[in-house]
Amino acid sequence: MRSLLYFLLRFKTLILFLVLEAVALIMITTSHNYHETVLYGVSRNISGFVAERVEKGTYYFRLRDVNEELVTENTMLKKRLAELTSGSQEGFIPMHDSVSGANYTYLNARVISNSVNKQKNFITLDRGSKHGVAVGMGVASPSGVVGVVVGVSRNYSVVMSLLNTDFRLSASIARNDYFGSLAWDGTNYRYTRLSEIPHHVAVNEGDTIVTSGYSAIFPAGLMTGTLTGKQKKGGDFVSLEVLLSADFKKLTDVYVIGNLTKDEREDLEKEVLQ
Amino acid sequence: MNSLLRYGGAFVLLIALQLLIFNNIEFSGYVNPFVYLMFILILPVSIPSWILLLLSFFTGFVIDLFSGTLGVHAFATVLAGFVRPWVLSLNVTAEAAETEMSPSSYRSGLRWFLIYTVTIVFVHHLALFFVEIFSLRHFLHTVLRVLLSTAVTSFFIVLFDFIRSRR
Repeated sequence: MRSLLYFLLRFKTLILFLVLEAVALIMITTSHNYHETVLYGVSRNISGFVAERVEKGTYYFRLRDVNEELVTENTMLKKRLAELTSGSQEGFIPMHDSVSGANYTYLNARVISNSVNKQKNFITLDRGSKHGVAVGMGVASPSGVVGVVVGVSRNYSVVMSLLNTDFRLSASIARNDYFGSLAWDGTNYRYTRLSEIPHHVAVNEGDTIVTSGYSAIFPAGLMTGTLTGKQKKGGDFVSLEVLLSADFKKLTDVYVIGNLTKDEREDLEKEVLQ
Repeated sequence: MNSLLRYGGAFVLLIALQLLIFNNIEFSGYVNPFVYLMFILILPVSIPSWILLLLSFFTGFVIDLFSGTLGVHAFATVLAGFVRPWVLSLNVTAEAAETEMSPSSYRSGLRWFLIYTVTIVFVHHLALFFVEIFSLRHFLHTVLRVLLSTAVTSFFIVLFDFIRSRR
């Protein structure tokens, strides 16, 4: 007993070091659910509060970019509106497709904290459960897909960014509808990769990449990025480099996308699979 | 009491600098300065190693809490706190180690402080970036991140040390 005590005293620094490193490692390996834990809820409310105030100060300096983006989106929406109304003048009544179109609701939100320089980047929004945000909702900016909500507190929500090596998005080439899996390799925040595209598919530089709509998170056809023309061959498939349409360094205003019939769809899919 | 207040102030200041300013700076994805590490570097030479370890863990843990990377920074800072006495013993004479002095370029010379800073920052960043990615995938990319970030973090720490000793 005495020699054990002596041993512990003699190596107390080393033992403490090993214990602390073990605690850190345990925290790392068990933290994939971190964004749902109580501890994180508390720190999110504090850091959200601080980040919101800092963001309010710096938002002013980005107004030019924000305006530009909104004008572009407005123009696009006006074009769509013109297309729809001109159609009805010729006798067609615009109908909402209940399978693909009208199932989604949109809520605007402000990005109050964001990063692009880690391997696992997350974004904090100023909307929470109070505003109806729930885990699993999609997030997009006016220029493209941004991520998926992974944690919600009363006033804030945390989004797993497309720039997170754990993130997978089902995306397709708009021109020919071939779909693959979009994932970030953790290197450059402007580029991501679309993999699992068969060899024989002809692709051009500049082809548009959109969401496939195969998951219930995003509606089909949401802008994601464009092909740069670089590709990597491996096995039966090629993986294509994609320039993201959303500039993650300039994110300010985004939409949270809710799917009104998500539960119904997932229940049905689960039922059939069993 | 006075020194407790001083180090407490330094802790709050460095954490705030890190979270509010340096976490938002990003040059090309290769350079991520982590200046909060300066807190571990400037603790008194005579601090018992177990207190140093506990403070290191606490520092990393606070950064983790606010950046959503639970455990990653804590792992790296504990390692930095563990190697600090060794790096010090390579350079500090026995009588200096008895004093309450805080390692600085003002007392010990720029050359000494630079070696001391770069060594510990390098160990910290090496652990940090490899634990963050948790694989040897993109090995060279990660090594480059470690080297460039070590240079920039060390630069800022030496700069802050200079400002500190001028006062």
